[in-house]
Amino acid sequence: MNRAATLDATAGDPAGADPAASVADWFALEEPSGTTDTRAIVGIAWRSIRGNASRSLLTALGVIIGVAAVVALTAVGAGVTQNVTANLERLGTNLLTIGATVTRSSSGIVRSESSGITVGDAELLRSLQGLDGRILGVAPSVTSNLQVRAGGLNTTAQVLGTWPDYAPIRDLEVGAGTWWTDVDVESRARVAVVGHEIALELFPGLEPLGQSLTVGSHSFTVVGVLPDKGAGFGSPNRQIIVPLSTYLQRLARSQVAGGTSAQSVNQIFVRATEPDHLSALQSEVTRLLADDRGEFDLEALSFQVQNQADTLASLTAVSRTLTLFLGAIAGISLLVGGIGIMNIMLVSVTERTREIGIRKALGARPADIRLQFLVEAVVLAAGGGLLGLVVGAAGAHFVSPMLGVTSALTVAPMTVAFGVALFVGVVFGLYPAQRAARLDPVASLRHE
Amino acid sequence: MTPALELDAISKVYPLADEDFYALREVSFDVPVGEYVALMGPSGSGKSTLMNLIGLLDTPTEGRALLAGQDAGDLDPEEQAAMRNRHVGFVFQSFHLLPRLSVRENVEVPLTYAGYRPSVRRRRALEVLDRVGLGDRVDHRPSQLSGGQRQRVAIARALAMNPSLLLADEPTGNLDSETGLEILTLFDELHAQGATIVMVTHEPDVAERCERVLRLRDGRLESDSQGRAAPAAA
Repeated sequence: MNRAATLDATAGDPAGADPAASVADWFALEEPSGTTDTRAIVGIAWRSIRGNASRSLLTALGVIIGVAAVVALTAVGAGVTQNVTANLERLGTNLLTIGATVTRSSSGIVRSESSGITVGDAELLRSLQGLDGRILGVAPSVTSNLQVRAGGLNTTAQVLGTWPDYAPIRDLEVGAGTWWTDVDVESRARVAVVGHEIALELFPGLEPLGQSLTVGSHSFTVVGVLPDKGAGFGSPNRQIIVPLSTYLQRLARSQVAGGTSAQSVNQIFVRATEPDHLSALQSEVTRLLADDRGEFDLEALSFQVQNQADTLASLTAVSRTLTLFLGAIAGISLLVGGIGIMNIMLVSVTERTREIGIRKALGARPADIRLQFLVEAVVLAAGGGLLGLVVGAAGAHFVSPMLGVTSALTVAPMTVAFGVALFVGVVFGLYPAQRAARLDPVASLRHE
Repeated sequence: MTPALELDAISKVYPLADEDFYALREVSFDVPVGEYVALMGPSGSGKSTLMNLIGLLDTPTEGRALLAGQDAGDLDPEEQAAMRNRHVGFVFQSFHLLPRLSVRENVEVPLTYAGYRPSVRRRRALEVLDRVGLGDRVDHRPSQLSGGQRQRVAIARALAMNPSLLLADEPTGNLDSETGLEILTLFDELHAQGATIVMVTHEPDVAERCERVLRLRDGRLESDSQGRAAPAAA
């Protein structure tokens, strides 16, 4: 009623009309707040977006794709990393692996042929084990994928020759039967511990223990069966583990070629009793083997001693680099998306010049017009961002099975992607909004 | 009593290459509250420029324009917009309704910029729409209405903020004569209820309904005469 009262004071009644029927009285209005209802402006922007639904969707497409790409790629990437990390951890964390030096050449990754990790090296380390309580076990290993037969069935298995310490080193307890022992290694016994899947394939419905299977022309007796260790990299499910001596005598391919390499193995595993001992042990093992071989340049050894922590660290570094790289690509696509929004907003400002003129004539402040167009740009970007999150999550969900990994949606990249989309909306919405706010009302009203 | 509008020697100058062009040259007049004024003149006489200045859509190069006693000359664009919102109700020749909004929402636009709550906006819009005889068309789109109805919506919108001044620019220019007459009758009624009206027109018939006729020629006020509907006759 304040408004009516003030108007009455000025309105008066010079024309002689009945004061009771004056416009001021007729349309009694309370005092306005004086500041525009922001929610109403958001409503105006939202109606404009809905009114041009297909154009709005196309405008937001750049942002949708950008955000979806970030979410999907990081989810799949995190899934791969988790998968590989889990498998590495299954190998045991107190583990040292001695192998030939890996060198990179123009033709790819090459294992140095001359390294010659041998049974002798393993025996040297075993002698150290006797003196040193920090070593839990030493086991050389040599593997190849071979045809295996039993009864009328045959399959391909990874045949692995090693020492009995392999079991505690890799935490491989038999589910049934027993592990073969040092005695079997001494006597080159033809005994085998078989993985879960191989047992099921070769002896369906039978008790595998005591059965015989044939590798090449040599038959082995099954003395132990491993429990199901799950599929994946490094799983023993498709392995047949036999005494190293037996493997080297009967199965090693190099034996056919003859020569001293009959004692060659692929790797030697050394397991420490405590993780704390690992790095000290790593350098001692390196020095011991280097001395034994007469190699004095520690930078150019023919072998390398790796621990699981190193491998995990380098893997983490790789995945971090990859994430940054993906982030950069996604950032560029979001930038492009933002430019798309700015482009359409500029067109929209031109198209709606008359609307802007009308609104200004009706009392819209430049700030109101700016807010209206800014909100429109931000809503487009935010809506695109939300849609992008959904599309990206769905994409990761459907793509990862094809890559054989479980995707892992992580909050951080989703938050960052959405935040960047919002930021892009504000930054690229400001210029068109500012242009709209500065339009001359007189010229805008005449605009057709 | 403060006049609704006071113009004190206002000029509008557009600098051209050779010499300055005076769209308006030292125009002065007052419009007391409740007066119904016609602004006439041939095209190029400065009518539109004057209307834009009165409506605070433009600022004079020289002189002062006071709306309800307030000088808009020193205001920044934000404050000018607020003043326009509060004191000026525009009625345009081509209606200038927003096509995507309903009739009621069109009328609510100035109320939104004034900061009224949705419930007040709604109530007020229905009130003024009822006043112009469109209480039963509030949810229609402008495109569903006839020209006369659209102009009534525009008038309702101009009345919504209860402005100090109704500023009508050839309000019957796009209407047939019968509909135009209905609109003019509506203006007469509003005038009778105390509204202050400045109507730009080039039709003598329209001007005759006003109390006072101002004629512009070449940017100068040529004459200021009583109309047929002068107070004595009211």
